[in-house]
Amino acid sequence: MALDPAVIFIGDLVAIFSVYLIINLSLNLEFGFAGVPNFGKVLAVAAGAFVMGTIPFMMFGILVDYGGLEPVDDNIMLVHQINAYISAHPESVLGVFVVTLIVAVAVGGLLGLASAYPAIRLRGDYLAITLLGFGEIIRIVGINHTPLVGGTLGISIPDMLAFMPNEYRFLTASFVLLAFAGVIYLLVARFTKSPVGRLLRATRDDDLALQTLGRDHVKIKFKVMMLAGMLGAVGGVMYASYVEGVVAFGYDRLNWTFLPFVMIIVGGMANNKGVLVGTLLFVAIRKLVIYYNDSLDGLLPFDIIWLDYLALGGLMILVLIFRPHGILPERPQKTESLEKG
Amino acid sequence: MTIILFDGLIYASVLAVLCVGLSLTYKITSVPNFAHTSFAILGMYMALIMSKVLGMSVYLALPVAFAASGALALFMYYGIIRILQKKKSSLISLIIATLAFDMFMIGVLNIIADGIRNTYQVNSRDFTLRSLDIVIGGDGGLPLVFIVTMVLLAGLAFGLYYLLYRTSFGMSMRGAIENESLAQTLGINTRTIFCFAWFLSGGLAGMAGVLMSMWFQGDPSLAAIMLPSIFAGSIVGGFSSVYGAILGGLLVGISEVVGTSVLIDLLGYWVIPYRPVIPFIAMIVTLLVLPGGLIQLITKYKKRKNITMKKAEEEKEGSKEEEDGVGA
Repeated sequence: MALDPAVIFIGDLVAIFSVYLIINLSLNLEFGFAGVPNFGKVLAVAAGAFVMGTIPFMMFGILVDYGGLEPVDDNIMLVHQINAYISAHPESVLGVFVVTLIVAVAVGGLLGLASAYPAIRLRGDYLAITLLGFGEIIRIVGINHTPLVGGTLGISIPDMLAFMPNEYRFLTASFVLLAFAGVIYLLVARFTKSPVGRLLRATRDDDLALQTLGRDHVKIKFKVMMLAGMLGAVGGVMYASYVEGVVAFGYDRLNWTFLPFVMIIVGGMANNKGVLVGTLLFVAIRKLVIYYNDSLDGLLPFDIIWLDYLALGGLMILVLIFRPHGILPERPQKTESLEKG
Repeated sequence: MTIILFDGLIYASVLAVLCVGLSLTYKITSVPNFAHTSFAILGMYMALIMSKVLGMSVYLALPVAFAASGALALFMYYGIIRILQKKKSSLISLIIATLAFDMFMIGVLNIIADGIRNTYQVNSRDFTLRSLDIVIGGDGGLPLVFIVTMVLLAGLAFGLYYLLYRTSFGMSMRGAIENESLAQTLGINTRTIFCFAWFLSGGLAGMAGVLMSMWFQGDPSLAAIMLPSIFAGSIVGGFSSVYGAILGGLLVGISEVVGTSVLIDLLGYWVIPYRPVIPFIAMIVTLLVLPGGLIQLITKYKKRKNITMKKAEEEKEGSKEEEDGVGA
């Protein structure tokens, strides 16, 4: 049974939206709330995806006899073999996926700490440059270190939902992703509403005042970088498992650093609902552009790939000039004493 | 061996010229310009258009690229940076705006590259203009681009010194950089000065791009690849010093080329793609050990020298006074 194109369109939209929502919430946490300009958001996302590209192969290696096949060199055959095993033993997926997530979260958190370390005490611009550099480095490693995720060609990874019948598999994947994103949204919303949220805003707005109250702004920044790195890695795992593959070339600055920035700034910084709106808006627009790719191609005097760069870059500048607070601006946080007034 | 020498010196000088522009605009607007490399890529395509499309000497592209990239930088300053500064945008918003402009320019430059290829059937990606260059003394001799690069860097160093320390315009420029409002109260037109600096920064980057495409390769993707190296050079030098930028750019550039060739000998050819890691490590080490860069080291040394000299003078005077006292 083939799926209706409209169902495929919506299913894909929901999945990509969920992935970006996770990543954008993490970026909003560090940039929107705490003011850490993470120009290397791609670092955490790629780290998560690379973990997803390696750990499942190791884990299934314990369960399945590979017969001398290598994850990168005999990729297609091995993935086929593992998928057959998954359809026979669906329960194995749970263990493998949970372990992969834990490893990804650990790696993402560590990279968040490590990438922030050199410049976290300096002015924001130094930090931005250093983080941007880290984002470039992980891409270079991914592309050139073939044993990791297959280098320039990339690799396929085992389908975690291979046990589902084909016609349900696609929509189940979207649903699982949405559920993950929903849980993370609720957790982050709760987190930012708590006194910690105020602490993060204070770090962003006036670290000097914060220090006079006995708080160490560097420590807070470290913690938020670690947390955001963890969440970003979860986003990377989700994306890689959704597309069932990892291609290092795909983890570039436009898609995984700049686009999240555009989404949260247009939606509204330090406002989780704004992030929701911005993410939905951009994922939908991009999806539509890809969908009507063929009919647009004749209208434009240039290759359509560059439209992304022109439109996103131009839009970002216009939004920064004319509506810097986004669609849903940040709201003052209501506390009990404020309401009593 | 000579190839590595040429590679290293040309690359380092080009990098130093780019770093000077970056540090200049950073010092003036205190915004690290993430779109700085796109000025250089525009210069590369000016070189390609002048030589392969219009059939003129590639060296004529130097002034053309200077004007074109300078105009682009001026547009960026007037059209984006200044407006945002007037709206009292935060530093981070300004940085994001430069990053957005970089993204926009990546699109524009790729469209230019595609346009050149489709209209004139000229290879416009990973192109090199090395074969068009004049080599003095036949094969294996001295390429003209090497001499031009060296002259440009030396001219830049002396020219900037002359401009900043020997002319009244330079003096008002330094004043405007140190304290804008104070300079304005003294009747200095700071706007002209800032525009001049941005134009100069963009123009220099354009010329660097031309020279780059004449020895190495030209491609729009270089904008993203070279950006960390340029920032590394500027930061190693001490981000807000023009002379530090020359020092840092040369140091980072040479260590990038020489370091890679040494590592190839030691470890094998697989290290080549990891070349951008070298400037990155240099930057990290600088930030950890000496956040003020090389220039901080030099100024510290100078200050210490001044202090010791003053102390020595004071002691001399003091001892004289004592002697006088004894005498009275």
